[in-house]
Formats: sequence, structure tokens, C-alpha cells
Amino acid sequence: MFSIFSGWASRRSGLALCILMLALIGVSGDALAHAVAQGDKGYIQEISGVNLVSFIYLGAKHMVTGYDHILFLFGVIFFLYKMQHIALYVSLFALGHSTTMLLGVYFNIGINSYLIDAIIGLSVVYKALDNLGAFQRWFGVQPDTRAATLLFGFCHGFGLSTKIIEYDLSPDGLVPNLLAFNLGVEIGQLLALSAILIVMGYWRRSPSFMRHAYTTNVAMMCAGFMLIGLQLTGYFVA
Amino acid sequence: MYNHNAPAQAELPSARQLLRSTLIAAATATALLITVVLPAEYAIDPTGIGRVLGLTEMGEIKEQLAAEAEQDAAGANTSSETIALVAPGENVAPLAEPQPTAIVEQPAPVVVEEAAPATPLWRDEISITLSPGQGAEVKLTMSEGATASFSWESNGGPVNYDTHGDGGGRSISYEKGRGVDSDSGELTAAFKGNHGWFFRNRNSADVTVVLRTDGEYGQMKRVL
Repeated sequence: MFSIFSGWASRRSGLALCILMLALIGVSGDALAHAVAQGDKGYIQEISGVNLVSFIYLGAKHMVTGYDHILFLFGVIFFLYKMQHIALYVSLFALGHSTTMLLGVYFNIGINSYLIDAIIGLSVVYKALDNLGAFQRWFGVQPDTRAATLLFGFCHGFGLSTKIIEYDLSPDGLVPNLLAFNLGVEIGQLLALSAILIVMGYWRRSPSFMRHAYTTNVAMMCAGFMLIGLQLTGYFVA
Repeated sequence: MYNHNAPAQAELPSARQLLRSTLIAAATATALLITVVLPAEYAIDPTGIGRVLGLTEMGEIKEQLAAEAEQDAAGANTSSETIALVAPGENVAPLAEPQPTAIVEQPAPVVVEEAAPATPLWRDEISITLSPGQGAEVKLTMSEGATASFSWESNGGPVNYDTHGDGGGRSISYEKGRGVDSDSGELTAAFKGNHGWFFRNRNSADVTVVLRTDGEYGQMKRVL
């Protein structure tokens, strides 16, 4: 996460993100002799019953290491300066993703993970364009940013639920574990948000903020487009 | 940025506030790293908090799975050679004695015995005692489409299982289960190779799994 922010003010931030994402493509797993998954998935497949702390941890980890969610969150708070505004938007996003995550897992609505991740990439592009004022320039309208945040929160929630379904949770203790996972997602979101806000706090105080804000949003849009391309390619190749 | 105004200085945090936040963030991150992340990822738990939270167990399981996968990868060549020994069409060719994989754990005592003639229901029976965390694998050499019937039960606690097969560079998982006491049914080989069961004991005490099989297969062997 910090590699994203270390070079963000420069034009290289887009490139750094590209490299990061390419590195992440190689991450997969599975397919060994007795088909035992490793890592978090392997752990989840080995346990049964209620494991609240473990699922809180996994939820938080998913959020903190989920660069797509972080990128969207970064876009959402980019031009928010007051704590009450940040709280409002982050709550809207949390409400959105919690709803669809819980419903998605509970009713086993598995959306193709490549497609939903491509939509999450689209949400990043949308937010970057919104920050740049593109919709006003192009169409003369400003879409309701609160509604958009909630709507994209729903999309991100389906991304989370699709991941959890892939994890193959035991039906034993599903609901408590799921609620713990959701709580973890919120904790992870707060942790990630705190880090972003601190770095942005320093950055906003410097006179270069408004000068680099444009470029940064363009870089963010670039990363969003790349996420879309990456996921759509995955959809057709895999 | 047509739709956004530059922030007023008063709306921004002060340098002092920012420095304080940075220190709090660094301290929080360090504390979480030591008490939560390291136990959960690597089973490194200097404070003992990870053990209390149950996260060290997560790290241990992850490490164990990674080590086993490494052994599988190392042993993958030998198992495919074993299968290659079986001549085409010769389903019951005697296979090499199963070589226990070089594992750290001591293999549990194995008892393989032919079923008594009076009870012709099962051809083979194997009883495996598993210590906590231990896994065991029993396979049947089968040709494509062959069907074997089976029944197993776990005494002393439920087990996790994966009914699966591999051979000729292919592998398949037929069914997985967690915390199951017993299972029975028929196993139809999707391709020529070794097909069978992986059992894992996730209880805190020893369990004994008794597996009985019958049907169209060459040999029962314990692989792990």
C-alpha cells in the first residue's frame, strides 16, 4: 500500500501502480497433488465452526491489501477536507459494500470475479473523472457523488462476496463468521483510510497539492483502466 | 477540477496534528504487526497474544500447508513414475511398495489386512491413527471408469477429508468435507491413476480413521 503513496505526487505514480498490478497478476495458487489450497483459502478450508477473530483478521487483511478498494477510497476522499464529509462518504461506501457482501454470500450470488473486478476498476475510473470535473465539462451535469459512492459500494460488496464464495466457507458458523469478516473489512477500511489521510494531510498542506491533483487523478484513472483491462483479459483467457 | 475548490488552510490539519497522527499510526502498525499479522501469517508470536486470539493457529496451518505443498511438488515426479510402471490394460499390476514421503511427522502405525472370507463385503480395510494436525492419504490404483465402493468412519472426533485422484499429470478433487464423522459411497475414477482419500485431524486429540474398500481397483496403498 505504501508503495502506492510514496511516488504518487510524481507522474511516475501511474507507472508504479502498473508495475504493482502486473506483479499481482502472477499471484494465484492451488493445483497441487491433493488439491490442498494454501494461504488464507487453505486455512479457511481446514477450519470449521465459529472463528470470529480469524475472520475479523481476514476481512481487515482483504481490505488493507485490496488495492482496488483502496484506490477507490483514495478517490472518494481526494477532495474531502472535513471530517464529517469523510465520515459520510466512507459510511455510504461501507453501507453499500456490507449490504451486497452479506446478501451475496448468504444467497450464494456468485458473480464472475473477473467481471465484478472489472466493474470495480470502472468505479476507479469514474471517481477519477468525477474528481477532475469531467462530467460537468462534458455533459454540464454533476452526478450525485453520494449516490455514486453508495452504488459503487454495492459493486465492491459483490466483489467481496465473490471472493468469500471462492474461499469456500464452512456452512458451520457461516453467519457469525461472515459478520466477523464484515467487521474486519470495516476495521481494515479505517486503518487504510487513516494512513491515506495522514499522507494526504501532509500533501494538502504543500502548495503543490492543487498543481499535482490533476495529474494524480489522471494516474488514478490510468490504474483504473488497467484494472479493467487486466480483469477483462482474465475473463476471456481464464 | 472544475467542481472542486482549493482547501482553506483552516480546514487542513496542523503540522503538529499530522506529526502526532503519524506517530500514532506507526505505533499502531507496529503493535498490530507483532500481535496480529506475524502470528496469523507466519506463526511468529513473540507476545503470546496471537495464541490467545487464535491467530497463531492460522499461521501454523498456513505454514503446514505450504510445507506439505512443497513436499507434494518434490514427490510429484516419483508418483508419476510409479504409475508409468503399470502396463496398458494391466490394471492389477503390482506396484512398487508405497514409499512414505519424507515428512517431519512420524507416520502413524498402519494395519492393512484382508477381510475375513466370512465377511466378503469389503476387500481391504485400513486403520490409521492421526495425531492432532496430522494428515494421511490412502489411494487405490484404478483405471479410467473403474468404480470402487468405500466406507470410512472416524473414531475420536470428526476429520477433514478430500476425495481426490492423480495420475498421468492430471489431478482431480471429487469431494471435500470438514468436520465429518463418516462417509460412504462409490468412487469412479475419472482417469487412470491413484484415487483415494486425504484425511486430516484438526481435533486436539488423536483420532482413528477406519477405511474399508471394495470394487474395481488394483491395490490399496498408503501414500502419506
